[in-house]
Amino acid sequence: MLDFGSYQTASCSGSSRRAFIRTAAAVPAMMTAGLPALAEIEQARRRAKAKSVILLWLWGGPSHLDMVDPKPDAPDDFRGPFGTIATKTSGMHFTELLPRMAARSDKYTVIRSMQTTNGGHPGAGTVGVTGFEEKPGPVQPNFGAIVAKHRGQQEALPPFFYVGRGIPRDLPRRIEGYGGGTLGKAYDPFLVHCSERGDVSIPTLKMLPNMSPNRIEDRRTLEKALDVERYRLDSAEVERWGQTYQSAYGLLTDEKARKAFDLTRESKKTRSSYGRTTFGQGCLLARRLAQAGVPYVQVNWSEYVETFTPNGDFGWDTHIYNFELLQDRHCPIFDRAYSALLDDLHDSGMLEDTLLVAMGEFGRTPKISTRAAREHWQHCYFSLWAGAGVEPGRCIGESDAKAEYPVSRPITPLMTGTTMLELCGIGAKERAEMKVLDGGSIIDELF
Amino acid sequence: MNYFRRADPAVCGVAGMVEVLTFDRPSALVSRWLCCVVCGLLVTVSAFAAEPVQLTQDGSLKRDARFVDGGRSVVYCYDETPALVRMMKMSLDDRVAKPVFEDAADKHHYEPAFSPNGKWISFTACTGNLSGKLVIRNLESGAQADITHKGRGGTRSPTFSPNNERVIYAFAEKGPQQLWSVKTDGTDKQQLTTCSGVSNWPSFTPDGRTIVFSNSREKNYEIYSVGADGSGERRLTNNTLMDIRPAVSPDGRRIAFVSTRTGNYDVFVMNIDGSNVRQITTSEERDDYPNWHPDGEQLVIVSERDGAFDLYLVDAPPGRTVAGR
Repeated sequence: MLDFGSYQTASCSGSSRRAFIRTAAAVPAMMTAGLPALAEIEQARRRAKAKSVILLWLWGGPSHLDMVDPKPDAPDDFRGPFGTIATKTSGMHFTELLPRMAARSDKYTVIRSMQTTNGGHPGAGTVGVTGFEEKPGPVQPNFGAIVAKHRGQQEALPPFFYVGRGIPRDLPRRIEGYGGGTLGKAYDPFLVHCSERGDVSIPTLKMLPNMSPNRIEDRRTLEKALDVERYRLDSAEVERWGQTYQSAYGLLTDEKARKAFDLTRESKKTRSSYGRTTFGQGCLLARRLAQAGVPYVQVNWSEYVETFTPNGDFGWDTHIYNFELLQDRHCPIFDRAYSALLDDLHDSGMLEDTLLVAMGEFGRTPKISTRAAREHWQHCYFSLWAGAGVEPGRCIGESDAKAEYPVSRPITPLMTGTTMLELCGIGAKERAEMKVLDGGSIIDELF
Repeated sequence: MNYFRRADPAVCGVAGMVEVLTFDRPSALVSRWLCCVVCGLLVTVSAFAAEPVQLTQDGSLKRDARFVDGGRSVVYCYDETPALVRMMKMSLDDRVAKPVFEDAADKHHYEPAFSPNGKWISFTACTGNLSGKLVIRNLESGAQADITHKGRGGTRSPTFSPNNERVIYAFAEKGPQQLWSVKTDGTDKQQLTTCSGVSNWPSFTPDGRTIVFSNSREKNYEIYSVGADGSGERRLTNNTLMDIRPAVSPDGRRIAFVSTRTGNYDVFVMNIDGSNVRQITTSEERDDYPNWHPDGEQLVIVSERDGAFDLYLVDAPPGRTVAGR
């Protein structure tokens, strides 16, 4: 089932030819403004190895020691309670919490020497997905926004998706680097949510009360409803909302787009393999979006960073219950979903031209806290890389005996973004023209 | 009373596909005994082959299954939404689940424990950001004691003493996570253990003399037993991967627990002294959170099947299958 806004509709109802034409005509000029010339796009595409990027954003800071960089010989107050298991990569061990991923390590590469500059969630989140600090500003664009501007919107599907419950945030505020930044709000991500049952919803359309599938295909009724809504908004909101709405309406009336959202088109076996969790089904949705040609999809583990708070959706910020939640919830879900996505991309041949990256904004303190958990640690963490020419089956970078600091070259978010964009065909020239990722370098070790 | 539809382990061990009996409990015991006598002449059953009985169907993320009401109901916690863990109670007669507390609001509730006399419940409640307090509530009067410690942090894994007077739980106040004890009225809070590593999942023997728990001092979780007075600690498991959530059987002779020694989360049973370790579940997916039925022959567990999480009933009768230690 598809859940567009506040209602559900059968996934295969389709839309009329007439409705599609109207939708295409309604795509705002904003979405096509400022794009590179077609010839440039074609050149970049030929150079690109990654048709699509899927970023699994492990919001909150997953513990590197308790997942992919265990230190079983570290002192009691560092090493944690989990046993270690061998992976398919020679000499590399994970904790016992990631058995599926350990059995597939020949299909991806682990970086154990990530380092960032910020130890707070929103700040580090912005660094993690833009490469730069929020201050002094202006806030730089999300890597996905850069890809979106470079590739442009080719069909009804927007070029930059967020899959998740909302823009990543902590209790006080959202991250500033979530969207277009200096490139403008036209390149903000398009947010979709996927339930644990695979129902896809578009939060934007929840602004339209009492709209049924039939009514939304009636343009006059729809516009009347929109006019009512516009009265509730100020001019800035109207502009932004109109743009987002146009994209959402385009999705509703474009068959290819609707199919991309319809997880029931997958076999039961495939859907099950990802696990019946919001993150698992979100990963499957990301694969379908990439398959449909979306160049950048960021799957957000959670909206809120907090792992244990009323109304929180269990981020990776495990200041309490670190060991319990990793063991009971986070790692089993992640292990299954990541492995299924990797298998799916590999078996379908998509891994050749799809870049799959998984990371959070930082790691967690190697020294166990007095609450038997781990706090923020920006000095050393991990990322996982697969596809689009990344040489798999390796462990890049090394942390020290307590996993406190890298003992090899630190890899930064700026390098992460630069590498992603290079693989998308956005080279130094294009980056300079867009004035993004200044000073970034490629992670050569990945190739 | 008819409870469960299932395949008989002994029958399955021989005939493979002989299906599924619906039976009332006394006659079921007789029929199973007869099957065992006949089949035992032919084969040695090498595994618990009984098909688990599925108790829930919704597939949502679940945890912390507990038998209550003498085994007629099960309490468990599940993801009502991606942002709310709700505690539910399901009658095994009609399989209808209802919230345990109507006043839970938006607070996660975890790890319920019930006193042997059925008068008390204890659980961890999320009371604010990064805060989980221990709640001890009298189910008859509604009186409630909230057990808190200084600063942020969360309590874990409460269990009642057999005399219904105290709750044992895990908490990290100043370093390594230890076991604590408190009276049901919230007074007389004491730290029971002073060991290194992470201690968790305490479970009493029925005589109240011994506590079984897990601790990670040997580089991974192992199961230990210790006298209720803190003396005579003994290590019960010894392998390189986790052994967690020990639960002493109603007769005090066995321990159900979870281990990843097979490559994923599986349920095992061993004797109270750590001998005779037997593998109960063999699914390639996760089997977790075992809790004994009062009859001591079955466990309710949370099993992941095809990516969905549901409650299942599995057999764990005494004196069967040895899968090695």
